[in-house]
Amino acid sequence: MTVPALALEGVGVDRAEVPVIHDVTLDAAPGAVTVILGANGAGKTTLMDGIAGLAKVRSGTIRLDGTPIEKLATFRRARAGLGYVEQARTTFRTLTVEQNLLVSQSGDGDLGTVYKLFPELDKRRNLQAGYLSGGEQQMVVLGRALVTAPKVVLIDEMSLGLAPLVVRRLMTTVGELASMGIAVVLIEQFANLALAAGDHAHVLRKGGVVFSGPCSELRGDDERLHRLYFGGPPLTTPGPSTGPVPGGGATPDAPRNGPQESERP
Amino acid sequence: MVNSVIAGLTSGGGYALLGLCVVLTYRLVAVVNFAMTAVGAMGAFIMVSLTDKGWNVWAALVVGALSAALLSGLLGAALVRWFAGHRERTKAAVTVALFVALSAIGLRLFGGNSTGAHRFPNPFGDPVFTVGSVVVPQSVLVSLAFALLITLAVGLLLTRTRIGLKLQALSERPSTAEVVGIPAPRLAVGVWAGVGAITMLVIVLVAPRLGGDFGALSGLISTALAVAMVGAFRSLPLTLAGGLILGCLEGMSSSVDSIQKYQGVVPFLVILVLLWWRSRREVWDTAHSR
Repeated sequence: MTVPALALEGVGVDRAEVPVIHDVTLDAAPGAVTVILGANGAGKTTLMDGIAGLAKVRSGTIRLDGTPIEKLATFRRARAGLGYVEQARTTFRTLTVEQNLLVSQSGDGDLGTVYKLFPELDKRRNLQAGYLSGGEQQMVVLGRALVTAPKVVLIDEMSLGLAPLVVRRLMTTVGELASMGIAVVLIEQFANLALAAGDHAHVLRKGGVVFSGPCSELRGDDERLHRLYFGGPPLTTPGPSTGPVPGGGATPDAPRNGPQESERP
Repeated sequence: MVNSVIAGLTSGGGYALLGLCVVLTYRLVAVVNFAMTAVGAMGAFIMVSLTDKGWNVWAALVVGALSAALLSGLLGAALVRWFAGHRERTKAAVTVALFVALSAIGLRLFGGNSTGAHRFPNPFGDPVFTVGSVVVPQSVLVSLAFALLITLAVGLLLTRTRIGLKLQALSERPSTAEVVGIPAPRLAVGVWAGVGAITMLVIVLVAPRLGGDFGALSGLISTALAVAMVGAFRSLPLTLAGGLILGCLEGMSSSVDSIQKYQGVVPFLVILVLLWWRSRREVWDTAHSR
């Protein structure tokens, strides 16, 4: 049996001493994209922070390539092969693109691979990251995770505030990361976009996993997604799988199916 | 008066370095360190206690610098361990408490003016050259060279080396720095230790001019903060210039009998003027943004 690149077993995570994540068990296989979905406040980012070491793991075991890492410091988890693309494009703004990559480089991490994946960055390698567009900054953050020579990359809401075209461009990169043999764990606001790119999905509600299965089971099934997100009755007017969920404006937590033009920064 | 201004440059170089240490601690680990000069004074007094016991000056200097680095590193480790997630003002308050504690301990261990101040060695007291009636002592050149050297070295370290880039990354986004594999706690403790050792060396340099009283030397923190304010807690060259200007102002004030007794007020005046100047700009901006 193949050892999963990342395996969580009964994991509980606290945020500021408040238990947010309860008894989560999931794994991510190498070369596959694992999608984590859920409404705002379901605990997706807290779970990611717990895996990366930014939030306190209260209980359970987190294994990276079979080795427990839940007691390691954040930087040691990164060095063990855990890349984390945080929410909100966390570049080092005063450093240039190249310097952003250099401070993160470790092991077999290669800057050339990043520039090949993102030719846009190659042209701007001496520009301070703070002057880049939102999409380019997200590329720097993805590239930074890649030069740590990761076994697993956690990606949290990378489409936040980006134009649809840029989101699609970045989504193709997610597939390319997986094709390099990296286990990608993806949190994404656009549910169907993530399900289209993913292999396996987990849905979180109130800090616990309420669904685990192949992405194909949820793809286009807005009604089921809505039920999984909120636990309530299904939507009365199911929306088409290619468009936004009707009433999405009234309930901002509702699963969203794809980037819309209104998402432009 | 020119002689006094030149003599003031000796202290000016030292003040510039103390200001640089404040700026570096703030920029790299986001702490306004009020305990910095008290830690440096501890190291300096350990050194002078050893020379009083007959130790070689250079050996005692090394032990003193290492002691200050160790003490500063321990304080840094405590702040990293227990106050990493707290706000800047909380960390600053912790260093104020440490300053009070270290000052009390230092006065108890090493005494003050009333209980017999120590005599610091002054290897750079001889004049280098004389221009007309102006005597330029060695200490001025040593102090200025040391200040320039440290400013340049720190500038190069931060911009040209991998560790410097990591320190910049750490200062900008501490948690993200850890996420990309930068050993943030270890680097932060290294910054604290380095700053402790440099502060001790600066205090040894200015002590022969300012006297061997623990309270007076640890109280240099007010001067260091005034100098750091000139550089807006950010610019290394401006901080260097601020230190030199403050030293000259102090030298000038010491040559005029009527204001000599108010010499210690100079740093506070500089702080007040800078606060007024900056708030004036904010008021102007606010008025024009309405």
